Amino acid sequence: MTGRHAAIRTAGTQTSRTPLTRIALTGTPLTGTLALLRHALRLDRWKLLPWLLVIGIFPTVSYSVYGSLFSTPLEAKALQLSLGTNPAFSLLFGPATDLGTAAGFTAWRVQMFGMFFAALMAVFTVTRHTRAAEESGRAELLDSGVVGRHARLASAVVLAWLASAAVTVLVGVALMVAGSEPVPAFALGSAFGGMGLAFAGVAAVTAQLGSTGRTANTLAATVLGVSYLLRGLGDTLDDSEWLLWTSPMGWAEKIRPASENELRPLLLLLAAALMLAVLAAWLESRRDFGMGLIAPRGGPARGRLGTWGLTARLNRGAFLTWAVVFVALGSVYGLVATTMSGIFNDNPFVKQMIAFRLATEEQLLFAFVEVLLLVLAFIGGVFGIQVVLRFHTEEDEGRAEWMLSAPLSRLSYVGPTVVLAAVGPAVGMAAGSAALATSARLAGSELDTAKVVFQGLAEVPALWLAAAVALFLVGLAPRARAGAWLLLVYWLLLTMFGPVLKAPDWLLGTSPFHVVPNVMESNPDWLPVAWTLLLAVGLLLAGLAGYRRRDLASR
Amino acid sequence: MAAVVSIAGLTKSFGHSMALDGLDLEVSEGEVHGFLGPNGAGKSTTLRILLGLLRADAGTVRVLDGDPWRDVVTLHRRIAYVPGDVSLWPGLSGGEAIDLLGRLRGGLDDRRRAELLETFELDPTVRGHAYSKGNRQKVAIVAALSSNAELLILDEPTSGLDPLMEATFRQEIRRERAQGRSVLLSSHILAEVESLADRISIIRRGKVVESGSLDQMRSHARTNVAATLSDGATRLSATPQLGAVPGVDGLRIEGSRVQFNVDAGGLAAAMNVLTGLGVSALTVTPPSLEDLFLQHYGERGGQGRTQ
Repeated sequence: MTGRHAAIRTAGTQTSRTPLTRIALTGTPLTGTLALLRHALRLDRWKLLPWLLVIGIFPTVSYSVYGSLFSTPLEAKALQLSLGTNPAFSLLFGPATDLGTAAGFTAWRVQMFGMFFAALMAVFTVTRHTRAAEESGRAELLDSGVVGRHARLASAVVLAWLASAAVTVLVGVALMVAGSEPVPAFALGSAFGGMGLAFAGVAAVTAQLGSTGRTANTLAATVLGVSYLLRGLGDTLDDSEWLLWTSPMGWAEKIRPASENELRPLLLLLAAALMLAVLAAWLESRRDFGMGLIAPRGGPARGRLGTWGLTARLNRGAFLTWAVVFVALGSVYGLVATTMSGIFNDNPFVKQMIAFRLATEEQLLFAFVEVLLLVLAFIGGVFGIQVVLRFHTEEDEGRAEWMLSAPLSRLSYVGPTVVLAAVGPAVGMAAGSAALATSARLAGSELDTAKVVFQGLAEVPALWLAAAVALFLVGLAPRARAGAWLLLVYWLLLTMFGPVLKAPDWLLGTSPFHVVPNVMESNPDWLPVAWTLLLAVGLLLAGLAGYRRRDLASR
Repeated sequence: MAAVVSIAGLTKSFGHSMALDGLDLEVSEGEVHGFLGPNGAGKSTTLRILLGLLRADAGTVRVLDGDPWRDVVTLHRRIAYVPGDVSLWPGLSGGEAIDLLGRLRGGLDDRRRAELLETFELDPTVRGHAYSKGNRQKVAIVAALSSNAELLILDEPTSGLDPLMEATFRQEIRRERAQGRSVLLSSHILAEVESLADRISIIRRGKVVESGSLDQMRSHARTNVAATLSDGATRLSATPQLGAVPGVDGLRIEGSRVQFNVDAGGLAAAMNVLTGLGVSALTVTPPSLEDLFLQHYGERGGQGRTQ
């Protein structure tokens, strides 16, 4: 009894502004949810803000430039015909159902991006306050106070739901300010928010399954990836629109903002969110604190790891995951590229281009492959940054200090990470583009395998630059290391959407992904790639020098 | 005896806050040196500088005749370290973590490793994230003690250990010393330092305020004396007589009970006076480490004391 009181008092003093102690002693499984929610909100306000801003503002940018893009409605119609029916773009962004209006154009351009990121935001938020909090011991302190069994889970899910609702409102209001009608504006917002709702539920479940925050996030992200792929296939393959009904992302897409504004799929998302949350609560009552349903196995009593082995071990999960993603995406893209020939024959514009020898069919096909490879390249960028930041996590969590107390120089400690960050994305890129070319060939396309792989490898210096930026920050300004992610997202947005939004050349040139030449051209310009490489090496060396000289962070 | 660690005038600041402010410290070969101070006094910062994890702002630091920042690799072959808050790799078993550190050092003593696992009752097959705080601490202790290092740097190594394991730990440290190893043991647990350390340095706000053996320190400090006088008639003369002895302070007489404290120089004279007065009971308490400590940290520990 005294022990319990002491624990309550501790929790009360530690979070003095959270009135845990004021809650009645007899309570339901949800007792304390509100107090925990307020606590989580305060912890998260700066973490959520960038997500809200990026997801909320980007549609407005797209909406605002629409007027300057097309001088006549006919031009927009032409784009819709040539791009909107192109399976590569349908796969990536969904079909272009209405490019005739600013709202329709915006919806097509940003919906996948917004849905994807809103889902990620919800996943990270829920995991942070459930599994990751349990792992770090933060939760124990809170749970020892007067909180119900499901209070922390509930507060995390509600927080993610609130953030999703905020996304919906923000997108809707921002688009209306830019001049949109309210219905398409809020329809687009609710496609994003609906994804957030549903994936908060997914993460609530995966947080019960995995016993670490990393596992929980990976499981939820896998669901998101599969969901994205299913709806992509539903959009591109013949007679397979039913695939859209098999995943939350398909439902969100079914809202079809601007063209149909169908809000019934939103009910599906809401129902899924609620059901998953209830399932998570049920799972939570069947497991112990700190444990997952997927029970951790014991390990070997002896080990033979060195610095290289350790680095390989720490990144093994990420490496395997990304390898699968590279090959799977590559293969799917290959299949899609094959269906292009048929499209060329149906498309009057393309027919004309070929007739006037402005382009050969192979060149056109290759241009689409280039876009697909770009997506693989961004995944490679993510992988490189992840490897480097994983290295910094070791320092952040106090293990680097222990390692470096052994006879190990700073450079030999960071060495394996540098090598992996360089080799990993390059191998992934090669495997992904080879998978793309192979599956395209198997499906009967004319693509030249060597050239596709070569084009894929041409992206590698850009991946190295992304990893080098991360290493530079870890070496010289570790507090700003998240800047590497921001830069990659900036490059992604600029390269994917800049050309369509008619961004000036100098701005496009700031993305190393944009400046990669097409290897099919008779005289590809490799100079920008050389610059990318040089910059990457420079940043790497500066980062290493900085890491060698700086103080190790104390916990 | 040669010094394995010698620090003079060490300063280190983080941004605006001064962590170390002219710290001096000397650890001799073969001794267990207690490094005593509360949290935030600068103990961990000092140890991190000794390990080359942080760079000193000013002052000279020598470890095993080397520069801890420059000669990291060669020095670390001869040093083993137990961090204050051990964090393990979530996916690695304790045994793998011990062997990883051992391998980085170029091998460890397998027999000693097995022996230590048994003494500390540590299961090496558990994965990092499943260990309790005390068990994480044990992993680092086993890794350090099964190395062949000449100098052990231990940063509050027993935090999280239960009293039984603390006793085991002390026993192992004595064993290390018997084999000629030097130990720098930072701690805020007075009993641990008192029972293990040959010499002690007390750190306060980034400076060593007192350093020496416990006996040396005691000789600077005051002894508490409590006596019951046998003869009521001589009680009247007790006050002036004891008050006249140089070094006596805090004299209190209640009934036949006399209490005072006295420095080392006045102890003999005070005893003479008491004998002359006739004593029926006498308690002489030498200053404990706690008293020494509180002399330097008086302003925060003053009230809660009981004798």
